[in-house]
Order: sequence, then structure tokens, then C-alpha cells
Amino acid sequence: MKSESFMFAKLQDLISWGQKNSVWPFNFGLSCCFVEMATSLTSKFDLARFGSEVIRGTPREADVMIVAGTVFVKMAPVVRHLYDQMLEPKWVISMGSCANSGGMYDIYSVVQGVDKILPVDMYVSGCPPRPEAFMEGLLLLKDSIGKERRPISWVAGSQEIIRPEPLNMRELKSPLRMKANLLDEPNRY
Amino acid sequence: MNPIVIKPEELLETAKNFQMLYDITAVDETVRTHTHDFTMVYHFLSLKDAEFTCVKVPVANENIEVPSLTSVFKNADWYEREIYDLFGLKFSGHPDLRRILMPESWVGHPLRKTHPARATEMGPYQLPEAKQDYEQGLLRYKPKESGGDYLYLNLGPQHPGTHGVLRLILKMNGEIIEEIIPDIGYHHRGAEKMGERQTWHTYIPYTDRVDYLSGVMNNLAYLLSVEQLAGMQIPPRAQMIRVMLCELFRIASHLVWYGTFVQDIGAMSPVFYMFTDREHILKIIEGITGGRMHPSWFRIGGVAHDLPEGWQQPIQDFLNYFPKRLAEYDSLVMQNIILKARTKGVGAYNTEEAIAWGVTGPGLRATGLGFDLRKAKPYSGYENLEFDIPTAQNGDCYDRAVVRIEEMRQSLRIIEQCMKNMPGGDYKADHPLTTPPNKDRTLVHIETLINHFVNVTWGPVMPAGDSFHAIEASKGTNAYYLVSDGGTHSYRTRIRTPSFPHLQMLPLLAKGATISDLMAILGSIDFVLADLDR
Amino acid sequence: MVWIYCAAVVVVILGMLGGYFLGSQHTEKATRVPYESGIVSTGSARVRFPVHFYLIGLFFVVFDLESIFIYAWSVSMRTLGWNGFVRISVFISVLLVGLVYFLKTGALDIGPKLRKPGETL
Repeated sequence: MKSESFMFAKLQDLISWGQKNSVWPFNFGLSCCFVEMATSLTSKFDLARFGSEVIRGTPREADVMIVAGTVFVKMAPVVRHLYDQMLEPKWVISMGSCANSGGMYDIYSVVQGVDKILPVDMYVSGCPPRPEAFMEGLLLLKDSIGKERRPISWVAGSQEIIRPEPLNMRELKSPLRMKANLLDEPNRY
Repeated sequence: MNPIVIKPEELLETAKNFQMLYDITAVDETVRTHTHDFTMVYHFLSLKDAEFTCVKVPVANENIEVPSLTSVFKNADWYEREIYDLFGLKFSGHPDLRRILMPESWVGHPLRKTHPARATEMGPYQLPEAKQDYEQGLLRYKPKESGGDYLYLNLGPQHPGTHGVLRLILKMNGEIIEEIIPDIGYHHRGAEKMGERQTWHTYIPYTDRVDYLSGVMNNLAYLLSVEQLAGMQIPPRAQMIRVMLCELFRIASHLVWYGTFVQDIGAMSPVFYMFTDREHILKIIEGITGGRMHPSWFRIGGVAHDLPEGWQQPIQDFLNYFPKRLAEYDSLVMQNIILKARTKGVGAYNTEEAIAWGVTGPGLRATGLGFDLRKAKPYSGYENLEFDIPTAQNGDCYDRAVVRIEEMRQSLRIIEQCMKNMPGGDYKADHPLTTPPNKDRTLVHIETLINHFVNVTWGPVMPAGDSFHAIEASKGTNAYYLVSDGGTHSYRTRIRTPSFPHLQMLPLLAKGATISDLMAILGSIDFVLADLDR
Repeated sequence: MVWIYCAAVVVVILGMLGGYFLGSQHTEKATRVPYESGIVSTGSARVRFPVHFYLIGLFFVVFDLESIFIYAWSVSMRTLGWNGFVRISVFISVLLVGLVYFLKTGALDIGPKLRKPGETL
């Protein structure tokens, strides 16, 4: 019995390892954050070394939908439509302040956050987030995917997706940041 | 500039005297002392002497229909549809008056003063399945004529070739495009309504995001208009810093255009090279301003801080590094026979058509007319700098590319001159409306401290009046028309962006072409979605 | 060797069954709709093609059969001698006249007609 569940756990680890190391993004940029996402895919920042090798143009082949930019009222049904067309397993990264919560655009034509219409797995804040910040978000998502437990088959077995506890990076990084006592001089390049 | 005020009946006759229709907008007068509910504001441009003429047409109430200018100027079409969409004013004689920026199911006209501005005033946004189906049903294209063997294809909002959320409905006959119907408004962020809620100072970050590749250059367009209202003189050091950063952003914007243009044509590697070059520029910008894409670094009266020590060395390194790369791209990209075969003769127009459609910037210069606002009507110190205006002859995709690449080289010349001849002095004007005032004065004089506090929290109070200023942005000419009522907020902020008329010309350019030609044309128009829909 | 073949067939069948049964599934309204950049499509994709595609196919068949005949002749060239050479030249020249006719009438010009500046289409 014990060896069976051990094998099962190892199998799940193997599947999660495979899933987390080949997270293919969906070509879905809305606004200015798209330019920073594209920058992180180019050679200086190179997202491809973390497994996001190909950007898929069609939602059926993509794993992660990176909502990069403002979600507009005219665009919201289209976003929902595309999310429904993605196949399991799928994740959503909300990139930038506008996708997180509407950002600085508290205006009639902007949905105040993409989590009003989709379930989001990772929020990357910034306006726009630096390519390094976005990459950190993707790496944390990868870790979280590695710790997930998904149903093996839709035919039999429990259909529950067990996700790890979401992290709050500000709390985790705060002790290190509080220790900083050497700050840059503002007038020097 | 003194506006000419005429009655709606005289509009068509007056309009025939002008060369190019530059902008049409409206102002909702109902919240201030008024004799008529709305004012229609037309701006015309005469290219010979770069003179802008403002014509105002008072509209007594919302039921009056102003005659449409589509019979005189072809580019009036979308401007009038936008006014109908955002104000609810109708135009008689317009061929197809329907909403352009807002979704079809939208109730109300957003730029009216009675329409709520905030999304939080309108209730949380929900998308139940019924609403989703309804909206998708509205978005689905219904062709006017039935019959015929045409394939209606959506080059939809989510497409890598449209560089953002633009929807084109293609009516295809085999592989040839018979008709294109652009459907814009998927990127409408209400920047103009936001201007009425933000103070003159806090609106600056919103301008950054209008043309999101040009960063600080948008600040310049807005602030020159504000400073014209305030009657401020900007010190020469601030002007030269502004020019230098604007030209750096022009190169950055053109590099993104270059990389994505050739990627659409099929070349996979150049986009990586160009984005790496752009990183060099962004490193310089970050060192000077602290931000990468949206620094929001210009202020009313000058710039936010002085240049840091040691700023010349990275710029000199960049000036040594970049010309070789441009030469490499010439041989790698522009002399490629596939690129030439796909772009020469494609999407060509002549100067007359360009003027009829309101095209400015590299699109106009590629047809042979060397009109550049930096030379024709210099602003912010461009009159002291030496540079050339590149032009080309044929007005097709290849020539537009050639013009932009040469513009990058001229921008390098400007940056070099700015670096070598940077004057000393203040980086902010010594004027009561400078926001925020010079910090060393703030910490010593109580009046300056009070001024700083009031201007940053409540907002600077600009004198009442109208102000219009246009600059040569990286995509074309960008103009801000500000109406001030003597308060801390703008009464009406109108952003005339270059991408709006450029994209209006697309059905003319791409008719009879294949989809692969359409990709080349879209890339060569060089529009940015936030510039299009604001 | 047969068992390798059987093993390959078994592996492929296992892979296909595994692909069908493993993993989770979901079906929303939009899931089975064809992808068209996020918008529901208009009209059917089964439209009739313009006739020049048919013409191109027809020309291909004609000239392809011509090449088969020429191939058949070229294999037995020595046996047929000069007589055969004359006959095949007549055959080729007849079809060459047809090709020149197509080129002159523009039956092969099916590409896009790019708009020249100032032209109204």
C-alpha cells in the first residue's frame, strides 16, 4: 500500500515537473505591458530558457494566458471567450496594475481588474512591471505549478485541483528589504 | 490662435478654403456659463506655412445636426463618428454614423458632463453568461449584402499581426481582400475624460500611456500646450534636456517599429537585435529619469530633476555603438530581396491622397513632401539644432521604412548636439505656475513652500482660455487642445493623435491586396493602439 | 520482427487512449467554437473559390500529363530513334503553343493587383 502511494506521488511529481517546465504562453497582449512582456522574451532577458519557449497564437495550444495590459469593457467578452477556449491545464497571470485592479484607470471603459472575469493564479504588479519582475512572476508560477496536484483522469478519481497556498512576496521580501542601509546617491548616474 | 466662429450653415463653404482637416472635436459647455450647449471645434492645417486655423461652430442643443464634412475632406468620417459616439451629436450627410470607440451596447455618451467618469461610480463589472452571449452576438459581423461567395474573416482583437487589440473584418474573395472594415475602440481608456478629473499636474502620467512607445515625448506635447496657457518661458537647459530625451525615445519607438515590422514580414532574428539596442536606450533613460517605458518625467515648467553626474558617458557610448548597428540592419534587413519584394509597391499613396486623409509624419514624408513640425514650426529649442528631414519618393511600405531609419540617424545627430552643447542654468522655469517649484527655493522661502503644497495637492490654477499645440511625435504630429476654465482641472482635454487618421486610410490601401500584403501595410503604418483609441 | 511491429502498434494505441483519458476536461459554451481571434465567426467557411484556382489546377493536370508522356518517351528514346523524336517534338510544340496562348491572354496572372498611388479601385 505504502509503496503504491509512493509510486503515485512520484508519478504526480513527474507530471508536475513536466507541466511546470514547459509553460507555453498565449500571445495575448493588450496594452503597454505587452511591450515589456515582449522585451522579456527577447535575447537580453530571454524567457525561453525557463521553458516558455514558444508563444502560441491559438488558445488551444497555450498553457498560460498572460493578461498583459488593461482589460477594456469592449474587450472583456473576448478575453472570456479566449479563456474558455483554452484547454486544461491552464493558468492565468495578471500582469501590470491595470490587469490587477484597473490600475490608475478608474474610468468608464475599463474593467477594474481581470479577476472580475477570470480566475487568476499570479499577480505581477508594476506599471509596467520590469521584464525581470515579470520573469520572477513566471518563475513563482512555475514553482506553484510544480506543487499542484491535478486529477489524473476525468473519467475516474477525485476531480479536485489542490493548489499550494498563494504567496505574498511583499511579506516574504520585507525582512531583507528592512535590512538595507546603503542607498544610491540620487544625483549620480 | 484666434478661433473663427461661424454658424453651422456656413461650415461647408468655410471648410473649402483649407488644405488639410487636422482635427474635429466638440466641447460640452453645459457645466459652465454658456449660450449654447455644445461647441464643435475644427482645426485645419495649411502645410505651406504650418499654420493651424481653429474654427468653432456653436451648437445650440443636442438635436441640431451640423453638416458633415465628409463631402469635402475624406478623413472627417471617423472624427465625426467619434463625436457622435462620445457626445451624441449627429451630422447630416454622414454616410455611416454609428459608434466607433464604445461597444454597441453602451448606453449614454461618455464625454458629456452628465455621464459618470469613474468605473466605481457605475457598479462592479460583471460578465454573466447571458451578457457574454449578447456581447459576442453584437460583435459578430453582419454583412450588409447577402449572397456572393465571400469569406468574412476576423483579423480579430487578439492577433499577433495587429500589434495590439485592433479588429479588422476582411471580406475575402479567394485570397484577395475585397473590403476591410476596421473596428476600433478595444483600447479606449478614456484619456480625454480623465483629463477633466485630474489636475494639470497629475495628468502627466496619463499622457505617457497614450503613445506607450514614446514615453516622455507625449509629456512634451501636453506640457507645451499647458505652458502656452500659463504663458511660461522654459529655460534653455530644460528645453535641451527635453529635446534630448524626446529624441532618445523617438529612436526607441522606431526600433520597436522596425523589429515588429520585419517580424511580420517574416524575419525572425532582427527583432532580437533591435530590442537589445532598445535596452541600451532604456538604460540611459532609467539612469536619468528612473523609469523605463513610462518615466512621466517632464513637469509644468521644465523637467523633474537635473541631469545626474556622469550622464554624458553612457550617451557617448550609445552614439559610438548605434550607427554600426544601423548599418548592419541595412544589410541584414533592408537589402533583403524578400523584404523588398513584399514591400515595394505595396500600400502606396501619393502626397495628394496623404493630405486628403490627414496623414502626417513619416507616412507623409515618404511621398515626397518634407513637412516636419520640428523645422516648419520649431518648438522647445529645435530651432537651434542642425538636422535634416529625410524624404522618399514612392510612398509605399519600403519607402516609409527608409524614412524612419534615416530619421533614427538624424535623431542621433540631434542627441550628439544636445550632449555637447548642453547649457547650464535652471532645469525649471522661474514662474509661479511651475509645478512643483524649485526644491532649493521651497526649502527656504515660505511662499514657495505654500505654492508647492497647493500646486501639488490641489493643483496649479491655469488661466482661462484655449490652447492648442502640436509636436512632431514619432508616429506623426501629436496635438493637445486644452480648454481651461480658470480652474485646477482642464475643462476639456482633446488629444489629436496621429494613428487615428492613418488607420482610417487602411481600407483604401489594402483593397485588392492579399493578407500578406496587409501585414506589411499594417506594419508600415506604425500605429500604436493606445494612440488610436486613447 | 513481428513482435516489434505489434509492440509499436500497442504503444501507439496506449498513447492515444492515454491522451483521451488522462487529464481533466472542461466544456464551456465557447470551448468547441472555432477560434477566430476571440470573435464568433460570420458565415460559413464553405464558400466557392474564385474560378482561377480551378484553372490553375486544370493547367497543372494538362502539363503534368504532358510530362508523363515525355518521360515515357525519354525512357525508350533510343528504341524509337529519330522517328520518335520528331513525333515528340510535334507533341511538345502543340502544347507549347497552348502555353504561349495562356501567357498572352493572362490566364496565369492571378495575383493581387496592387493599387498605384492616386488610383481609385
